Amino acid sequence: MITFNSVSLIYPHSLHTVFEDLSFTIDEGEMVLVIGATGSGKSSLLRLINGLVPHHTGGILAGDISVDGISTSLTKPGGLAHLIGIVGQNPAHGFVTDTVEEELVFGMEALNFAPDVMRKRVEEILDLLSLVHLRSRSISTLSGGEQQRVAIGSALVMHPKVLVLDEPTSALDPIAAEEVLSILHRLVHDLGLTVVISEHKLERVIGFADRIIAISADGKTEIDIPEEILKKSPIAPPIVHLARALNLDSVGTSVREVRRMTTHLRDFTPLVSHPERDSGETVVAINKLNHVYGEKVALREISLEFKAGEITAVMGRNGAGKSTLFKSIVGFHKSTSGQIKVLGIEPTELHGRKRLSTIGYIPQEPSDLLIHPSVAKECAASDRDNGLEDGSTFAFLIRLTPTVNPEAHPRDLSEGQRLSLVLALILCSAPDVLIMDEPTRGLDYQAKSLLVDTLVSYARNLGKCVLIATHDVELVAEVADRVVFLADGDVVADGPTLDVLLSSPAFAPQVAKVMSPAPWLTVKDALRGIAQATGKDSKE
Amino acid sequence: MKTTPGIYRLSLQSKIVLTFTSVIALAGFVWPFFYVGNLHWIFVVAIGASAFLLISEVGIGSIDAKSIALLGVMSAFITLLRPLGAGAAGLEPIWFALIIAARVFGPSWGFLLGVTSMTTSALLTGGVGPWLAYQVFAAGWIGLLAGALPQKFAEKLIRGAEEKLLLIVVGIFASFAFGILMDLQFWPWVLGSNTQLSYIPGGALSENLSRFITFHFASSMAWDIPRAILTSVLIVLTATPFLRALRRTYFKAAFLTPIEFKSAVAAKN
Repeated sequence: MITFNSVSLIYPHSLHTVFEDLSFTIDEGEMVLVIGATGSGKSSLLRLINGLVPHHTGGILAGDISVDGISTSLTKPGGLAHLIGIVGQNPAHGFVTDTVEEELVFGMEALNFAPDVMRKRVEEILDLLSLVHLRSRSISTLSGGEQQRVAIGSALVMHPKVLVLDEPTSALDPIAAEEVLSILHRLVHDLGLTVVISEHKLERVIGFADRIIAISADGKTEIDIPEEILKKSPIAPPIVHLARALNLDSVGTSVREVRRMTTHLRDFTPLVSHPERDSGETVVAINKLNHVYGEKVALREISLEFKAGEITAVMGRNGAGKSTLFKSIVGFHKSTSGQIKVLGIEPTELHGRKRLSTIGYIPQEPSDLLIHPSVAKECAASDRDNGLEDGSTFAFLIRLTPTVNPEAHPRDLSEGQRLSLVLALILCSAPDVLIMDEPTRGLDYQAKSLLVDTLVSYARNLGKCVLIATHDVELVAEVADRVVFLADGDVVADGPTLDVLLSSPAFAPQVAKVMSPAPWLTVKDALRGIAQATGKDSKE
Repeated sequence: MKTTPGIYRLSLQSKIVLTFTSVIALAGFVWPFFYVGNLHWIFVVAIGASAFLLISEVGIGSIDAKSIALLGVMSAFITLLRPLGAGAAGLEPIWFALIIAARVFGPSWGFLLGVTSMTTSALLTGGVGPWLAYQVFAAGWIGLLAGALPQKFAEKLIRGAEEKLLLIVVGIFASFAFGILMDLQFWPWVLGSNTQLSYIPGGALSENLSRFITFHFASSMAWDIPRAILTSVLIVLTATPFLRALRRTYFKAAFLTPIEFKSAVAAKN
């Protein structure tokens, strides 16, 4: 269906080759996953398929790419529109109309379909993607998962033979992501659609992929079945890291497989040890907090304390009250009733430098904090605002990411570098509380491990209080000391990470699922735990 | 060499249509000085028709996806700005955006932006009527003018403070020109025939001109001056970041970037 024949690509204004001599064939009805670090060329590869690169971007393309026998060098992207559907990372960026039905029709209108054909196809797609009950809803009122389903629907309605998706679930919470991926799985199996998809969170998609294209940082590209690629790829889900660390003969792609392979490791009774930690002084004290938006109660009688040196993860569904809680702590709004004190002061009373050095807040979209035209200017402004010595923010940034170009525009940085920049801007004033809303959205594994290291050292070494709201259980397993679980404005669970995560199968990280009933959350825990247990066994 | 499409430029045919329709529109503005009788309604129809002709001509086939996307985004932006000022006392916060955007994306595109943003914002403010076609032409001309300003002076790019100054001059000029043009289409019929400032059909050019100027000063200066001040202030405040953001967009859109296809064998050698 898709053939790449010794493809090399160079972008204009760049001396570096994105791909060199890349050849592969994707057959009809295959689902192929593209993996690679940010900036390695995943998006370029996907856009080469429908000719947007180089027809839209410029550049030198050597070699030949053909889709269903049509060469992309001879046909403009418009000429391939009926053949290839493309879905982007943020569905909201691609919508052109207001309601679901209109959005589905829009592409067909542009391709001049007859009205009766359009009507038939819209009904078909509404059924296929279970969108019937949403047909006349306004798109802006839909949830992220529903929006992404509409975006997929509006691509499918043209009956393409190939569907290309660029990180379709990275902006979604796990439940919405599951919803989108299971639809894709069904499309591949029921319609024989060819799907090419790129994704950071491998644990979500790996089970669905027939083959993987792995792009390494130096432009080398491999294509093979998942088991082979994952044996050596540095980008891999936690269960694969576990399988490698335990020196299993093969790697599994699902919890079930790895669990079967590790039966012999679960024979012994594991030691249950709670890491003891001295709790520091209370930094944030919340007493009987209520927050009401119009009719809706967002927070109900919340009383919590957060301590210095502690990383707390706040989890819960979208709309459970996580963001409202954080906004109250940051002092964005006055709460309906109840009290919040940050180091004894109401957060709404904090101003200027005192505020910067007390509360650091990183919103869901970290670029919202970036307003200057270059990295150097951002850093200089931060030095000024915080009354620091010239260059101290930049020095902090260089420690996080040594290769950053100070002249670059902040929005041109990779996701990981941009997060480092925002962290540097916020952390250079050493706020007593660091609050992050969904910090791992769209981050690759590398950027995520940078984030984990930064957060852990900030809380442990500097003894600061860190709060994160997240859906990412793997991140929680890695960094959090404590988990607060919110549902419908109430605190439904609050306790050490181990207890909270293990008590709920839906929120258990992959390693815990494999190793259950042993209470290990991460690969590191499991290795340490097994070593201790087997050591003890052999002594007996 | 093959390249990606450039920013929108008027084709020769479009230029002819633009000139032709602009002459009709200009005549529609200034006829009271030269003609005996009442052409008001004839021109309302003629200018409306010219606007339609122009919009259908410049759109067809010749505009690429990126130019139209930019046009859509900027028109939407200006459309949202317009109700903010509600036009009261001439406080129209749209001219600075039109002028700055046209400066970056050129005269042809600037003309289109004037036309589309005036049309779409009229729908939002309820300002649809015979005057709309006049406004469309006036805004289009302002976009064209702002886009046609020189980018270089004595081999040096005009940037920074000089550029800001240039934009302010255009902003002030545009504010007054728009006021005068709108008064011109308004004056012949608004006052009736028996006031001191009324239009005299068939009167001497000098007499009518002086009556118009007095009318304009008496009625609309109070609108033009705040309009010019607001536009200048907004240019001073926003030009630097706004120009930077738009120039970055221009660069990102990769207009006129070379495309090359090589065979794999040739690439290896």
